[in-house]
Amino acid sequence: MNHSFEVDGVDFQLWLSPCQQGYRLRLHDKVIAPIAFSHQADSRGVLTIAGQREPVRYAIDGEMLHVRIRGRTCILRYCDPLRTLASTNQEAGHLVARAPMPGVVVKTNVSPGQPVSAGMELMTIESMKLETVIRSPQDGAVDRIHFNEGESFERDAVLVTLSEERR
Amino acid sequence: MRKLSFDTVLIANRGEIAVRIIKTLRKLGIRSAIVYHDVDARTPAVLMADKAIAISGRTPISAYLDSAQIIAAARNANAGALHPGYGFLSENAEFARAVMKAGIAFIGPTPESIELMGDKIRARNFVKRNGFSVAPSAIEEDDPATFVSRARCIGAPLLVKPSAGGGGKGMRIVRKLDTLGDAIAQARSEGLRYFGDGRLYVERYVENPRHIEVQVLGDAFGNVVHLLERECSVQRRFQKIIEETPSPALSPGLRKQICETAAGIARAANYRNAGTVEFIFGGGEFYFLEMNTRLQVEHPVTEMVSGIDLVAEQVYLAAGCELGFSQSDIMSKGHAIEVRLCAEAPERGYAPTTGKILVLEYPDGDGLRIDSGILQGQQITAAFDPMIAKIIVHSPTRIEAALKAHRAVAELVLLGCETNASFLGRILADEAFLSGHVHTGYLDENPHIAAGNSASDLSAFLATAALLTRPIRESADAVPELHANLGCWRN
Amino acid sequence: MQRITSSVDVKSQEFRLNELHNRQLAAELKERQRAARFSRPERDLERLRRQNKLFVRDRIEALLDPETPFLELSTLAANKAYDGEVPSAAQVVGIGMVVGREVIIHADDASVKGGAWYPLSVKKIVRALDVAIENRLPVVHLCDCAGGFLPLQAEFFADRYHAGRIFRNQSILSKMGVPQVSIVMGHCTAGGAFVPALSDYNIIVEGTGAIFLGGPPVVKAATGETVSVEELGGAHMHTNVSGTSDYIASSEMHAIAIARDIVARFHRPEKVSIDRATPEPPAYDASELYGLIPKDARVQFDMREIIARLVDGSRFHEYKPRYGESLVCGFAQLHGYQIGILANNGVLVNDSALKGAHFIQLCDKSRTPLLFLQNITGFMVGREYERRGITKDGAKLIMAVSGASVPKFTVVCNGSHGAGTYAMAGRAFDPRFMFTWPQSQISAMGAEQAVGVLTHVKARQLAREGGRLPEQELVAIREPILEDYRERSSAYYATSEIWDDGILDPIDTRNALAIVLSASLNAPIEAPHYGVFRM
Repeated sequence: MNHSFEVDGVDFQLWLSPCQQGYRLRLHDKVIAPIAFSHQADSRGVLTIAGQREPVRYAIDGEMLHVRIRGRTCILRYCDPLRTLASTNQEAGHLVARAPMPGVVVKTNVSPGQPVSAGMELMTIESMKLETVIRSPQDGAVDRIHFNEGESFERDAVLVTLSEERR
Repeated sequence: MRKLSFDTVLIANRGEIAVRIIKTLRKLGIRSAIVYHDVDARTPAVLMADKAIAISGRTPISAYLDSAQIIAAARNANAGALHPGYGFLSENAEFARAVMKAGIAFIGPTPESIELMGDKIRARNFVKRNGFSVAPSAIEEDDPATFVSRARCIGAPLLVKPSAGGGGKGMRIVRKLDTLGDAIAQARSEGLRYFGDGRLYVERYVENPRHIEVQVLGDAFGNVVHLLERECSVQRRFQKIIEETPSPALSPGLRKQICETAAGIARAANYRNAGTVEFIFGGGEFYFLEMNTRLQVEHPVTEMVSGIDLVAEQVYLAAGCELGFSQSDIMSKGHAIEVRLCAEAPERGYAPTTGKILVLEYPDGDGLRIDSGILQGQQITAAFDPMIAKIIVHSPTRIEAALKAHRAVAELVLLGCETNASFLGRILADEAFLSGHVHTGYLDENPHIAAGNSASDLSAFLATAALLTRPIRESADAVPELHANLGCWRN
Repeated sequence: MQRITSSVDVKSQEFRLNELHNRQLAAELKERQRAARFSRPERDLERLRRQNKLFVRDRIEALLDPETPFLELSTLAANKAYDGEVPSAAQVVGIGMVVGREVIIHADDASVKGGAWYPLSVKKIVRALDVAIENRLPVVHLCDCAGGFLPLQAEFFADRYHAGRIFRNQSILSKMGVPQVSIVMGHCTAGGAFVPALSDYNIIVEGTGAIFLGGPPVVKAATGETVSVEELGGAHMHTNVSGTSDYIASSEMHAIAIARDIVARFHRPEKVSIDRATPEPPAYDASELYGLIPKDARVQFDMREIIARLVDGSRFHEYKPRYGESLVCGFAQLHGYQIGILANNGVLVNDSALKGAHFIQLCDKSRTPLLFLQNITGFMVGREYERRGITKDGAKLIMAVSGASVPKFTVVCNGSHGAGTYAMAGRAFDPRFMFTWPQSQISAMGAEQAVGVLTHVKARQLAREGGRLPEQELVAIREPILEDYRERSSAYYATSEIWDDGILDPIDTRNALAIVLSASLNAPIEAPHYGVFRM
């Protein structure tokens, strides 16, 4: 079972194995070897890849890795298989409306238990100084509203949970 | 030596501008007090201020818009003056009046000036009356019943704006007239929420214009000077991203003309304190856009080339002092560029980003100034404007300034929250920008600058991440040498 | 150590003909293995998809660490049984790496007869668990079995090494402290239900996994109770109510992730430390093995040429090179592991038996695993040899082979006949692993001699009855006897019956041996001790 990282919503499968001068990395059908990383001070290190030494700045925050190489910063999320694979079916029977971007709830248009139809306005959020309407992805009933008006949320946060059946 | 009538100033703002004001107050030997919402408790401005007073609200923004709490805080801090910064209550005449009524000097123009010039509609009428050119427009207030039809008469493209406020909030371009109704409704809703004012106006949207503005200062003795122009044409969704002075688009003659027009408007308005007169410039013509009756975000570029501390001037002027210099004293030296570092992802439609700042290191060097409102360890939320810091450079020439800014952006280390740093780098290295050929639609016309190179090779990043991720390294280290050497052999 | 100098002319006509022949045999092996592994009627694969199940091979690939080897055992089990309709005996068994641990993987193949257990399936599972016990290898069971194939129950139910042995072996493994994890990926019915139950850990997949001693139809027949699969033995029932299962997984991949997390917690046993050098490839290319193995099984060849293409740097320290020359003995390294090799260079005679018995004791004392390379027609017969005590000396070799404590590995390179099979660590002598090359013949007697004997017997019978067999008829009865004898002494028959752990393409032998050598060192090696050698 490969390891995987998510970068900007794209899944990257990889596997690291030991080799004589460090490690070898398999990325899809590409093999990069040897690679090595030496830690220096806090958040600093040197990556050796393809015979090149690249100074690296990095920070780790839970599953998020922030890596900066040659002035470019990339945010990678380590996808723990236990978590990512467990969640595939978790919300079966429950549909969710997620936040397309971080923001603040401006107005809630529905209340729990209320039947809704696809496309109906559930919530108005404010982000980037613009209001965005969160609409129901399909027919159902409102199960739970996760944020009150004025509360802020992160990207991909579940804003409203719907149940499939109309009650 | 000009004397100040107060020893404490309350700052009714947050983030980088609050820090920037505190720095000048310190230099002037004045105590600083600041109001803050709980989400900002651990930000540098709150930590730097001599006194910090918590305020609350339904949302963090609403706390900073609550004039009663802020004036109470100013009293509590024994503040003799209040600096509103930019945004929030900075262009709210009622607030300025309430501050003055409380016996506190308002560091900004008079409420009357705010009402006249801060209100786009009145300002336009005033400017037009005084013989300066303005774009065709329809003002709701003139006759609300015919507002929409008058707007239609101007013809597309149109720009719908809230009468109050600025900073691009609530502005909408209408290219097809049948979407005018929706744009008006949305702009009104946002205007109400940001400025507590739902009035709108509509004007002809000029395609490919350049945004040029002029910094002015006025005192209570009728003296008005301009501190030359700034160009702010690199914008996304009406939000300035890169500002510079001098403008590469102006000939000396036009520069003189536009700067004197600005000073003339300020003089006609009997304007006091710092203000900015904004113009639309296109096809060799310029006309009045609006006046910002406050300190601008991009004021540091003017400070860099003129050597004048605009906040210090604001404080003296609010204290009733006379301007310390005349027009002929003002010299511009070299070229300054400011880039706005924002917690946003231009690659994903400028979506705001959030996160905890895990590593923060600013570049330093000669001619480099960082106005930052953040600290390592701070959580960036979506509650406020995404701008977190400004990087300002000063060099003898424009091209050197652009190179210096590019290097500064590349050297900046901010981990933990995605920023627009590489996007800024892409603009600073773009041919059109370097040759000075930009207009306010430049980024819309060049979407590749925002999109970046998504297909670029991530191998080095993935290799680093793999080597830094414990389960990945452990699973590699667990494999015996023999089996690692055999690889995925099958019989 | 001296490098073996090959004296084979790789450009000779003979070499080329051999090569062509053996490459064809290897290609045929690969094709048969491929078919056994992947060739399934579309309707069976479609059924798996409908049931939301992965094909057994995909399950295993997901379970394994990528970029690590998997040595599959007995791929062609049952290839000559049940009309060839139960490929691999509906079981996949192999040694692989899971989170850096060497484990035995045992997986039911639900694409074959619903994963039903046939007699050879049971034999294969018992063998897999014997391997686990002998080498102390943890086991991951991927369970998806409809139960035993009842029409053949007499061949797998009651005897000592029948199905009960699976559960006995599981219990013994647990008692030894060798952990097992089961993933219930389908129905585990009747005996099959005990596989997860007897595992130290088990995971059940929601929706598809179920465990019960009697399925709903059996329950209906026995007690009249109508009950659904889910109620009777579904994932929720077993994880919430009965406690038969430990973890519930939302999908097969999730279950595999949980299993990997469990294996990652396994204590990593200290391996037996044996001499290990830096690995080095052989000086001669392994593919030359194809040209070395004679097309005609009766042609003798020098085993040193084979050794030169198996061991590190082709270096071989030969022991007693001038004594008992029909048994080549000596030390070498294979992927860095120090081993002792016994290889046949002709029929076993007194000297070679004595040399072999002595060499085995040397290796045993120095903790050196033994590799037997078989190409043996048997012990020498005749008055002269009996007088010199060939039986007595042969007994010494068998005593040494049986009593050696170090791990033994056997590769049948060509012929394996008569008492030679025994003396060279045949299956009965518990080599840890035993592999066969495709052209090998395994039988009590070589086919020609055996058929000679059989026709002779037949002719004598007729003679007693007064008749005489005309030459033509003699040929007529000889042919079917020969045919049948050859068939049942072929490598494919041997592997079908699980007399070995699989047929190897000769060029895969080195890697396969390295993997099993490494695996064998998980079990401690007892101090050397032997029975009585007849002097």
